[in-house]
Amino acid sequence: MSSTEPSQNKTWELSLYELHRTPQEVITDATEIAVSPRSLHSELMCPICLDMLKKTMTTKECLHRFCNDCIITALRSGNKECPTCRKKLVSKRSLRPDPNFDLLISKIYPSRDEYEAHQERVLAKLSMSHSQASLVNSITEGIKLQSQNRPQRSRKNQEDNSNTSNTNGNSETPQNGGSTSAPKETGPSANNPAASGQSTSNPASVRSTPSPVPSNVSSISKNTSTTKRAKSILTSERSEESESSDGRTEGENSMDTEGEGEPLNPNEIELVFKPHPTEMTGDNQLMRALRDSSVRYLKTTANASVDHLSKYLAMRLTLDLDAELPEAYRLLNFCIYVAPSPGQFVPLAGSQTLRQINDKFWKVNKPLEMYYSWKKT
Amino acid sequence: MAQNINPHYASSSNPAKQNEDTIKLKDNHAVSKRLQKELMELMRCMDKGISAFPESENLFKWIGTINGPLDTVYAGHKYKLSLEFPNSYPYAPPAVKFITPCFHPNVDTCGLICLDILKDKWTALYDVRTVLLSIQSLLAEPNTQSPLNQQASYLWPNQPAYKKYLDDFYNKHKDS
Repeated sequence: MSSTEPSQNKTWELSLYELHRTPQEVITDATEIAVSPRSLHSELMCPICLDMLKKTMTTKECLHRFCNDCIITALRSGNKECPTCRKKLVSKRSLRPDPNFDLLISKIYPSRDEYEAHQERVLAKLSMSHSQASLVNSITEGIKLQSQNRPQRSRKNQEDNSNTSNTNGNSETPQNGGSTSAPKETGPSANNPAASGQSTSNPASVRSTPSPVPSNVSSISKNTSTTKRAKSILTSERSEESESSDGRTEGENSMDTEGEGEPLNPNEIELVFKPHPTEMTGDNQLMRALRDSSVRYLKTTANASVDHLSKYLAMRLTLDLDAELPEAYRLLNFCIYVAPSPGQFVPLAGSQTLRQINDKFWKVNKPLEMYYSWKKT
Repeated sequence: MAQNINPHYASSSNPAKQNEDTIKLKDNHAVSKRLQKELMELMRCMDKGISAFPESENLFKWIGTINGPLDTVYAGHKYKLSLEFPNSYPYAPPAVKFITPCFHPNVDTCGLICLDILKDKWTALYDVRTVLLSIQSLLAEPNTQSPLNQQASYLWPNQPAYKKYLDDFYNKHKDS
């Protein structure tokens, strides 16, 4: 694309890297070198959408890479040539998928969601500074969403409550979250109206707008009691279709039903995340940054795996910490344990699902208790 | 140097334009995301002689400026341009025109620019930065074969006369 470059300048043939690089010593010992994702970005980026390549397609002749969607749209919308070098591209058949490249990207960015969330935030910040009006816009949009949500929620409450009065002494635990599961018997429970009131005022599912809506949306309960808690965090950023994100309260007595260990909705599991008591001590950098928000409550689908959880934790904590944590600590790496009995910590393999863990280690009907520790690498 | 084509007849045979409506584009979000990335990149590297920024909250309309290239008759001049991005951007080019009147063989009196990469030679890889750089280099190297401004085209070979006329023109119109 020489036509687009100013002709007076002869340095244009060098890439940015080549212009700025300095001589490097040969590494002979075990030193590890970290390559910043930014320096890789231009290689892994689709030149059309400027995002990371998604379903990479490579042109057969000139070997230029694009997202599948981007290059297909480009070919359909204009000239039948490579957008990068103008080599003829007759049709889709002049392209081929490049799964190895996709694999490479997923190796470099094992937590691509996290990366993209981070990027969205940077962009959101940028557009915020670029116009105050868009900020106001996104807030009103968030509020609109919340108010759309609210009436449904309270209707649901009423239904539940009327059901409750029809049944005998066994009152049901209210399911305020718009959770679609049929009410299940949970034994006599201390059904407190305060809790339902609380959850209706606690708007949920604003997740689709990554906008700066009031931060009480998904917040951390600082209450360390395991059975009663104010709020649970929604895990749905991970698109795990957990529609309910409410502050469901589970009466203490519900444990009387004893044994079966099934949470209210068999497809959902509630859990408490606490820092590992010995590995996450006060001098741990992350612990200091987290301070009192280190205990997390969440509810998610039972088929979520330990890998999902650690990704979720990494993203969640990074979002909360934001400015407090230096860049190098962003790629958080967690080891997750379950404590079947006090003081005994069993590390969990990444592929285990929550249901498996729950069935194996946690038979009582209360939120699954898990511990995390954090490795710097 | 890119080939210049008269925009009036080029637009009729422009496949990008024709298909614009038929392409089912993902959504505006993807377009504004790309524009935001371009903006971020522009602000980060600050090219010499060009700049651009969204006109208002609307990310689809930008104002760009080009400094006349050094060592040309345009040196010392500063031109404002408007860039409007279609919903099919970057698969279709932005509509770019001069706001500051520009006396140039390939720019008409309304500020329309005759440049192939803004028409049928557009590819999705061009962006605000490369478009402005291309226009900047078009100032230095006009295509006098297919002029929009006949007078400028005739005058071009006589650089001292061209320079004199251009400076008068610029000083008269630069604030309009």
